[in-house]
Amino acid sequence: MKTATPNTLLARGLIILLMVVTLLPFLSMLSAALAPQGTYPNGLQWPEDPQWGNFVRAFEVAKMDQLLLSSVLIVLGVVPISVAIATMAGYGLAKLTSAKYKWVYLVFVFGLTLPFEAVITPLYYEVRALGLLNTRFAIILPLIGLYMPFGVYWMRAHFLNVPQDLTEAAQLDGATRWKEFLLVQVPLARPAIMSLSILLFLWTWNQFLLPVVLVQDPMQRTMAGALGAFQGQWGTDIPLLCAGSLLILAPTILLFLIFQRQFVAALMQGAVKG
Amino acid sequence: MAGLTLRSVIKNYGEVPVIKGVDLDIAHGEFVVFVGPSGCGKSTLLRMIAGLEDITGGEVKIGDRVVNDVEPRDRGVAMVFQSYALYPHMTVYDNVGFGLKLAGTPKDVRDKKIRDAAKVLQMEHLLDRRPAQLSGGQRQRVAIGRAIVRQPDVFLFDEPLSNLDAALRVDMRMELARLHHDLNATMIYVTHDQVEAMTLADKIVVLNGGVVQQVGSPLDLYNTPANLFVAGFIGSPRMNLISGSVAEVTPERLRIVSGPSSFWLEARGHGLAPGAEITLGIRPHALSVDPSGTLAGKVQLVEQLGNETVIRVLLAVGTEVTAVLAGQGVHAVGGPIALGFDAAAVHLFGADGNRIALSGD
Repeated sequence: MKTATPNTLLARGLIILLMVVTLLPFLSMLSAALAPQGTYPNGLQWPEDPQWGNFVRAFEVAKMDQLLLSSVLIVLGVVPISVAIATMAGYGLAKLTSAKYKWVYLVFVFGLTLPFEAVITPLYYEVRALGLLNTRFAIILPLIGLYMPFGVYWMRAHFLNVPQDLTEAAQLDGATRWKEFLLVQVPLARPAIMSLSILLFLWTWNQFLLPVVLVQDPMQRTMAGALGAFQGQWGTDIPLLCAGSLLILAPTILLFLIFQRQFVAALMQGAVKG
Repeated sequence: MAGLTLRSVIKNYGEVPVIKGVDLDIAHGEFVVFVGPSGCGKSTLLRMIAGLEDITGGEVKIGDRVVNDVEPRDRGVAMVFQSYALYPHMTVYDNVGFGLKLAGTPKDVRDKKIRDAAKVLQMEHLLDRRPAQLSGGQRQRVAIGRAIVRQPDVFLFDEPLSNLDAALRVDMRMELARLHHDLNATMIYVTHDQVEAMTLADKIVVLNGGVVQQVGSPLDLYNTPANLFVAGFIGSPRMNLISGSVAEVTPERLRIVSGPSSFWLEARGHGLAPGAEITLGIRPHALSVDPSGTLAGKVQLVEQLGNETVIRVLLAVGTEVTAVLAGQGVHAVGGPIALGFDAAAVHLFGADGNRIALSGD
């Protein structure tokens, strides 16, 4: 057994401090969510009689089941299509593009520099012109487009690291480009595809600005987007608001707990490949 | 199975010529080795045959078919890469059978072929493993297995042993020779290691700067190198090259001087005149310690290998030569030494670097 050195003790102490700082707001929300209705809970006081029923009420008044369904529909509309297109484009840009067409990639990189907020106004008019305002497509279609720069950048970085020999071996083995892509490249890209899917899921699920601007009906928005409406409606009932917020957070936390390993891998990948 | 023909094959990368007109005939069943220093174009030539590089000019024929514009998959070639290029996500079984699967070979036929190949390469116990679980030698075996199941017309090997350690390299070399014998297939093998070239090849193609320097059997190249490049490249340790000039010419003999050394060679029909600059080539094994020898100098380095002794000698003309002497001799570093040689073992090269044929060549 190794004995802990003062340095590791200090490191552990700092990590615990960081954990407390991170968790404190959530604990505060939880204690507030359990307070009796109509009260104004202060700080971290644990209520004498925890009102777990607040969660049930929040679930009902916020129509959480419908919101969940709406969020799932939006995620299903955005993530698979974005990942599929980004994978194909990433492969194309990494393996099939000659030096003459390298600039195509730069167009995507330029997209990375554009903040969502900068395009929201033109996007509003465009979506309106397409007649998609107040539908889920008003969120799905722009998100697919807005995710492309990052998705393509991410997948291209992966495909650049796949040795050229594998492509050539597949060609000599009799594979067409398409078969090589499906049978050799995609299985090898699984970790990258997985991490991209997780990141895109997270960003879509937490998408707030687009739903609030482009969709009026909270039931057509993402959960995070619906939170805005929920807050407006129940802003004075703090316990209910906190319970609702925690419920909205729950799916993301649950998913994080299930895919912890992949999340960390995804973040590490970004850190290394930058 | 088929032979292969290259006619005036050229490859340019942009404006830079890499292969400068190669002509070559390879008969069915021949084991041909492309050898040369790094950057000589040997791998490029192999990749052009495989279809992985475009051909700028000339013609590549496999059997009777011109394949210049044929996709790699339709050329009937299989290639073993230096990096092995195994598919990391597939088991050995699937790696070996991938080509057959793509070709739509029925499952039972495929299974039999994979197991037969595994038996030949003694890797039946590895079939369920993934490449990451294999050693370098085992991976190379799988890569070879992947090539042989497809029964190609031509096998291509791109420096397949260079990632293996020395002992394994010797084993795999012998296995490749056995495989060639058993399959009776046309094989083209690229290496920069001239020992591999000498031991495996029916025919060696020596390349330098994108130009074929000489084509011939290993012993042809060793005994009658066409030019200084081949002379220096084939044979280990490399041939000693000493500059000198022609001093006297008689109808049957030639007197050569190099610094203070002077000796006669039997020579006819060489066209050399007195004063002509030449380079002498003497293999290290052809030198021996001889107190009356013509090459005098100082011992620079002694390497005792047990069965032989390698010494480096700095000649009076300022050239260093290597001599491989039989047995375990005692030589003092820095001490004087005189080396002799059999005049019949001398190679002569003209000022242009090409071999000058002496009598008996």
